[in-house]
Amino acid sequence: MRRVALLVAALVSLLVLAACGGQSGETTEVVKEVTKVVTQVVEGETVEKVVVVTATPEPTGPEPVTVNINWGTEPPTADPALSTDTTSHALIEEIFLGLTDLDPETSEAIPELALEWSANEDNTVWTFKMRDNAVWVRHVPGGETEVVTDDEGNPRVVTAQDVVYGVKRTCDPRTGSDYSYILYIIKGCEELNTADPEAENFQELYDAVGVRAVDDFTVEFELNYGAGFFPQIASMPVTFPVPRWVIEEKGDRWVEPGFIVTNGPYVIDEWVHGDRLDLVRNPHWYGWEEYADQAGNIERLHGVMIEEASTSFALYESNELDTAGVPLEQMDRVKTDPVLSKELVNNPINCTYYYGFITKKAPTDDVNVRRALSMAIDRKTLVDAVLKGGQIPANAFTNPLNFGSPAGDPEVAPWALPEEMGGWGYAKAVEEAKKLLEEAGYPDGAGLDILLMHNVSESHAKIAQAIQAMWQQAFPQATVTIETQEWRVYLKTIEKDSPLEDKPNVYRLGWCADYPHANNWVHEVFNPEEGSNRPLLSYDDPQVGDLVREFAETTKAAQTASPEEQLALYKRAEQLLVDEIAAMAPIYYYTRVAVAKPWLDRVWGEPGRMYLWQWNLDVDARNAAMGK
Amino acid sequence: MTVQTTTAKKDWMVEAAKRRGRSPLHDAFRQLLKNRVAVISGIFILILVFIALFVDNALFTFFTGGETKPLLAPYRYGTANFLYTDKPPLTRTEDGQLFLLGTDYLGRDLLSRVLYGTRISLTVAIVASLVSLGIGLVYGLISGYSSTRVDNIMMRIVDFLYGFPFLIFVILMQVFFKAQARRGDAAGIWQFFLDIDKAMGGMFFIFIAIGAINWLGMARIARGQTLSYKKKEFVEAARAIGATDRRIIFKHLLPNILGPCIVAETLAIPGYISLEAFLSFIGLGVNPPTPSWGLMISETYQALRTAPWEVMVPGIALTLTTLAFNMLGDGIRDAFDPRLRGE
Repeated sequence: MRRVALLVAALVSLLVLAACGGQSGETTEVVKEVTKVVTQVVEGETVEKVVVVTATPEPTGPEPVTVNINWGTEPPTADPALSTDTTSHALIEEIFLGLTDLDPETSEAIPELALEWSANEDNTVWTFKMRDNAVWVRHVPGGETEVVTDDEGNPRVVTAQDVVYGVKRTCDPRTGSDYSYILYIIKGCEELNTADPEAENFQELYDAVGVRAVDDFTVEFELNYGAGFFPQIASMPVTFPVPRWVIEEKGDRWVEPGFIVTNGPYVIDEWVHGDRLDLVRNPHWYGWEEYADQAGNIERLHGVMIEEASTSFALYESNELDTAGVPLEQMDRVKTDPVLSKELVNNPINCTYYYGFITKKAPTDDVNVRRALSMAIDRKTLVDAVLKGGQIPANAFTNPLNFGSPAGDPEVAPWALPEEMGGWGYAKAVEEAKKLLEEAGYPDGAGLDILLMHNVSESHAKIAQAIQAMWQQAFPQATVTIETQEWRVYLKTIEKDSPLEDKPNVYRLGWCADYPHANNWVHEVFNPEEGSNRPLLSYDDPQVGDLVREFAETTKAAQTASPEEQLALYKRAEQLLVDEIAAMAPIYYYTRVAVAKPWLDRVWGEPGRMYLWQWNLDVDARNAAMGK
Repeated sequence: MTVQTTTAKKDWMVEAAKRRGRSPLHDAFRQLLKNRVAVISGIFILILVFIALFVDNALFTFFTGGETKPLLAPYRYGTANFLYTDKPPLTRTEDGQLFLLGTDYLGRDLLSRVLYGTRISLTVAIVASLVSLGIGLVYGLISGYSSTRVDNIMMRIVDFLYGFPFLIFVILMQVFFKAQARRGDAAGIWQFFLDIDKAMGGMFFIFIAIGAINWLGMARIARGQTLSYKKKEFVEAARAIGATDRRIIFKHLLPNILGPCIVAETLAIPGYISLEAFLSFIGLGVNPPTPSWGLMISETYQALRTAPWEVMVPGIALTLTTLAFNMLGDGIRDAFDPRLRGE
């Protein structure tokens, strides 16, 4: 019987959809009734119900203040422990709370769940005192947001136990978090993460992780080494408290709308995969009253998932999006246009664009080849002539916005810097590159066959072709082939453990800071043992094995060194990474090139942080501009 | 009375003598020359062929060795001038280089790129149509000439392949061959194919893929034609004097069905050209920086408002070429059709 009902419902919704097809341009004012099949949780049972819902939750009241944005892509996950990308981060930051948050301007840790924190003398034990008024909520898609209650009917409050569970869940190998190595700083996390879940002492290892609830609202972390940046790590989704009882009941499906229990300023209202993801305000969030002076007026976020920057920008220009990124090819026009140039936001962000070299695949297994390729990239020209967004040529991996970054220091890879920044300039760098290549046995590039791979994207393709042209002009006899792959396939291809024969010689990636410290860069990305180590650095490398060992030891030593010593150590590490080992070629430091309509007053945080609750939208101004 | 008859008979014989040596092909060609649009299209295509052959001196260096240099194209297609990116047509650089049709986002000369692109488009047109004509003709002939049972089986295979999603096939093929090339451990014939592919800028397997799928339509046409001819008297006569099946197929049937098949193939060529453009557009075509018109459009269409010439130049080239092939195909069809042949 139910099957029949479903079939009818599906047919009806098809008809309704078909009828709506013609007038999709004007969706805001009409309240449409749509028949849907909704998955609902009724007393722990999953049932599918045919219901009639309306597109606006309260047809009688005024329309909620809605901001329209583009997520850019489908967020791969809403699970804080599993997220590794900025889109997922952006979503998770809105629906979940961390112990701390990062200040949008300074990137310093500021209170969120934790009101205050302190450390012991050598920064190895951290204690966070939490607030007692953050509650878990569940949102019925298209309906109300309700506070989750426990067995006795009391509201469930976010407690220290939830934080402990969240942290241990990330370290637990059964969770399969790709980001767990961030928490290796916590005592016992690495041991647990690398243990066999079937092992006898697994429970012991689980209990031994250095995080514990002192009381309901005090949580204590024990670290392997003193880290002043730990409060910033506590702002990352991998440390977020998560609802244990939901996860244990629903397993992997706990993040699905209808099941998911959250605690942030917004909740997921509708998630149509590949199409849109809408958030609505969580009325039970403490901040609306507590931080009323900072809070904005956004009640609803309508987020589309459009991957093409040019399409998204066209929507912005037709007022369908309130804020958007600016595609490369529009830069000249945006800069000169009297209206758009005022809406343009262009400032540095904490990310680095780089090419990595697979050090085990010929011909990039030769350090001279890698250095020559890196030297022959004219970073300044690339930034000025192709990207045009005020990006900064990079000579070190660590972005200058981090502690310990030697960016712009001509003692690190001076060939990557233009003359006015104290570097060699491109002409001299190319001369040197030619010599190196001749030494390596490829005079003028003869016999050199390089495969460069990047994920599918308009701008990556342009950069890759520009660099291909630079290499081709520097080494006329060389062959440089460009290949593209879809993002997920690409990530698999360049992963450390995937088969070597599938890998390219050169791969493209970007890295954005999780917390503004060089440890998050040189150590966590390139350490041969603890980092993601995509270039496959190894101590056994016949040419640079010793340098790799020195690199690993340097970054390890920096973790426990004093701040002054750290600066020197990280500089040495960058010299090794970029110049002597040449495991990667830093290309430029990102800038944000985005636009926002004058009626939207928004916060510009680091990628993956929107601070939506602080945004303000002037609905009247927008309506006036759209001629309503 | 007698005299008159003789004269009439004589006239007829003179006429027949005059016509001797004029094959249907010859007739069709004369007919084609009367079609002005088709002639212009044909000349345009001949010019394209000339450009494709002599855009650089690869034709000569192929035999003599040495470095290839542009002949007709002013510059190399891959040379980037980062000081002159996105420049409109007729831009002159400080050191006197002239970019007649402007430059693209890397400062590459658009004229050179669009001329080099001719090579890709024409090669696709010719190779893909030869592959599909070759396979389709033979398959259709055999199927049409064979017994009903064999014919049935062969045609059901064609029907089955028709249902096969073509795009997925091409994508799989491209992905597979690119992965093979990346592994770099191929040997023997594989290595030979991969070398060809590399030399052609990643085009080889596109030809194969396009040709290998498009013979299906050709096979059906060839079979239909064969069926209508195999009951004709001249085939009966050939069989009566003991001609082998192979001789009947290739000596008697093939020349007769060739005309309609060539016409069908000419009309399919614009499809191949746009298919290559499409494949390059979605990133499965040639490897950059080898210019193909489709690739050039896909790289620059977002800049339509800021630098319209970047997409207009390859766009116009693509449009004119497909138009020319279509017009020529139409002309050839009309020329072969006796009903349209007015004296």
